[in-house]
Amino acid sequence: MIKTQVLVIGSGPGGYTAAFRAADLGKEVTLIERHESLGGVCLNVGCIPSKSLLHTAEVINETKHASELGITFSKPKIDLKGVIKNKDSIVNKLTGGIQALAKARKVKVINGYAKFLSKNQVTLDGTDEVIEFEQCVISVGSRVTKFPMFPFEDKRVMDSTDALLLDDIPKRMLVVGGGIIGLEMATIYDALGTEITIVELGSQIIPAADKDIVNPLFKKIKKNYANIFLNTKVTSMTALKKGIKVVFEGKDAPKSDTFDKVLVAVGRTPNGTLIDADKAGVNFNENGFIETDKQMKTNVENIYAIGDVVGQPMLAHKAVHEAKVAAEVICGKKSGFDALTIPSVAYTDPEVAWTGKTEKELKEAGIEFKKGIFPWAASGRSLSIGRTEGVSKSLFDSKSGKILGMGICGTNAGDLIAEASLAIEMGCDMSDIALTIHAHPTLSETTAFAAEMAEGTITDLMPPRKRK
Amino acid sequence: MPTQKNVELPDIGDFDAVDIIEVLVKVGDTVNENDSIITLETDKATMEIPAPFSGKVTSLSIKVGDKVVQGDLILTLESESETETDSEVETDASSDQSDNKVIDNSEATVTSTVSQDNIKQPEEVSLKTDSNSHASPSIRKLARELGVSLSRINGTGKKGRILEKDLKSFVKELVTHGNLNEEVEAIPLSRIKKLSGKHLSNCWNTIPHVTQFDEVNIDQLEKFRKHQKEKNIKLSPLVFIMKAVVQVLKRHPNFNASLDEGGENLILKKYFNLGIAVDTPNGLLVPVVKDVSKKSLIELSEELADISLRAREGKLDSSEMKGAGFTISSLGGIGGTQFTPIINSPEVAILGVSRTQIKPIWNGNSFEPTAMIPLALSYDHRVIDGAEGARFMAELNQVLSNIMEMLL
Repeated sequence: MIKTQVLVIGSGPGGYTAAFRAADLGKEVTLIERHESLGGVCLNVGCIPSKSLLHTAEVINETKHASELGITFSKPKIDLKGVIKNKDSIVNKLTGGIQALAKARKVKVINGYAKFLSKNQVTLDGTDEVIEFEQCVISVGSRVTKFPMFPFEDKRVMDSTDALLLDDIPKRMLVVGGGIIGLEMATIYDALGTEITIVELGSQIIPAADKDIVNPLFKKIKKNYANIFLNTKVTSMTALKKGIKVVFEGKDAPKSDTFDKVLVAVGRTPNGTLIDADKAGVNFNENGFIETDKQMKTNVENIYAIGDVVGQPMLAHKAVHEAKVAAEVICGKKSGFDALTIPSVAYTDPEVAWTGKTEKELKEAGIEFKKGIFPWAASGRSLSIGRTEGVSKSLFDSKSGKILGMGICGTNAGDLIAEASLAIEMGCDMSDIALTIHAHPTLSETTAFAAEMAEGTITDLMPPRKRK
Repeated sequence: MPTQKNVELPDIGDFDAVDIIEVLVKVGDTVNENDSIITLETDKATMEIPAPFSGKVTSLSIKVGDKVVQGDLILTLESESETETDSEVETDASSDQSDNKVIDNSEATVTSTVSQDNIKQPEEVSLKTDSNSHASPSIRKLARELGVSLSRINGTGKKGRILEKDLKSFVKELVTHGNLNEEVEAIPLSRIKKLSGKHLSNCWNTIPHVTQFDEVNIDQLEKFRKHQKEKNIKLSPLVFIMKAVVQVLKRHPNFNASLDEGGENLILKKYFNLGIAVDTPNGLLVPVVKDVSKKSLIELSEELADISLRAREGKLDSSEMKGAGFTISSLGGIGGTQFTPIINSPEVAILGVSRTQIKPIWNGNSFEPTAMIPLALSYDHRVIDGAEGARFMAELNQVLSNIMEMLL
């Protein structure tokens, strides 16, 4: 029997953060991971490998448009093995780094599949090993939802993990789901030469974001991809010899079409129910998420839960902050999760990012707001990098002028959104942002310009006419 | 598609701007037709305004303390929305993790869940993020560690930002000047209290009050009451007092009168309307029972029950609070041996009633346990002399202790 003060189950960004923070605060920590390498979905089959491949895609796309700059490249030769090797080396560097950090902190790492026996014990599935803990953090993440209507048994029907393996470059690929994951994978395969079709049930791609913020991306990919079917359902999918036959139901979509490969990117399911947490008495809500309070405590006093298992949004950066709260509370600190915003980013080309409230959320809540929209066509920097399709939108409380939200579409939007998140946490007004000197010429200026548009103080464009 | 409809203040009668004292719904609530949405308070009464139709509240245009007139926008209701969109993800080509339906909802509430209190709270840690508090994450963290709710702190930074020194001086203040329990809170007076307060201080300051005390043997009255009770007729001592007062007022018209504004003439009233002070959650109200002389004890009893109930519910019409010639304030149900009531100007006298006590009274041979009710008569000395006041009280005592005299 192994005894530990703090047991962390799952080594994704949430799990390793909780383990490391608790160790730094003086606890003796054990970290259980079912896969060979640490880092969870994010590092192994999610954020990191996809960003590596997206960079590859970006380079290919840059060279395609280089002729406009007076440079002509010949058609690139794609060495798939090389692409994969680069991706894997990045993943290995990071997962290896976590391993080293765990060692330096004397966090005991155990390889195995933990299942609860009681509120103080887990066993490693398939062994007699029992680990007894004082406190536990559940950070077992989520998995791709495998809807039975999709014939996943056929290798040509992929989830995001399969797609990242990059077995080949299909000629024609269907992406089911026009959300962040589907669009990022589409970006990669499109750059590699695949003809992409996207099918989305909602009336816009990336349904959670405001339409005007998604629009520059939509316009661009609409032109580049074979088809984007909105308001369209996939009613069946059959594996045939010549390809995967997909039947659609939607105004603009054909009745059916056959694709070389299909990527299904429609939802993830929390893993909390796979670890016999009920044996510890942990409560779940009707969606299968573990319920916690703002200190990440479950209903069982010594058991905490963080990340994808406790609810949406399923984002690594949310998990990391929750992890710190859980570890600190375990170590007797009065921490709590009180973040005002969790930013969302789609690493598409151009990127889409938003933070705080979206315009549609404000309208729904009946909050009166002022908005400032700055089109990047008026930014010197975006002109010089040849990417003028972007747009920045800032939303402010119409009475107090306090920032409520921001949405950006354009190159590096995911990096630019950080300023708005900080502004929200600090309670900035539109004038705080407009009066902060942003370096010229940068893309970050667009954030200040969007605030100036709302304020009516812009000079790089005509200020919007004031409504009475 | 759901439709948005404005709800405006309907015609509420002959009033100027009235105060909103309560908002009974919040954004997101679903209300049914005729559910109360706000409470208004006029000079003397409160009234609840019902929703004209069912729907979901999408915006509120008013808050407690606002003054409104007919036609002002109160709120917007979204009438019956469509049924929820298809949630069967199985057959949907919906999108991935960050944008499917479930996330839509949760992202919409990212900030609001932080301020909700429905999640269990660890005891000593304050996690209330008051969205109105202007404070950076590090200050929120410090507040959490110190167990201080930011909503209690006035920020001294730019635009009311709460700075570290604000938090520290707040805590220092607590440490030096007592603990968290010695909190004070400013609560605005209700409209009734504000109005009656002005009136009362005017009465107190302008009328030279004299208060005459007495105790009345009500054994006979109590016996009669008990007897009636056995027949299931419930009569309070107050209705007997009302009857007796009217009896005595008939003989002393100066007491059923008012002094005119110049203080030159006494206006004698030829009718017998009694003001009855009623304790309500919002303050003191004085509805008027009209023509007491013409009503039976049972009728008076029923009328009293009705007006005091409506007074407490704030449903009295302002006309029901006008036209008294004399007022009775009874605190007998609560307790106390005596008190000095304040004359309800322009009236010239008021009778205060305290709690009946069984006292040993000398009957010539022995002490006998006797029900004695304390009375206090305050009168306007400009109009009524001391002797007259004493006489009024003596006669009232006579009638009340010999209830047959009420028949005279």
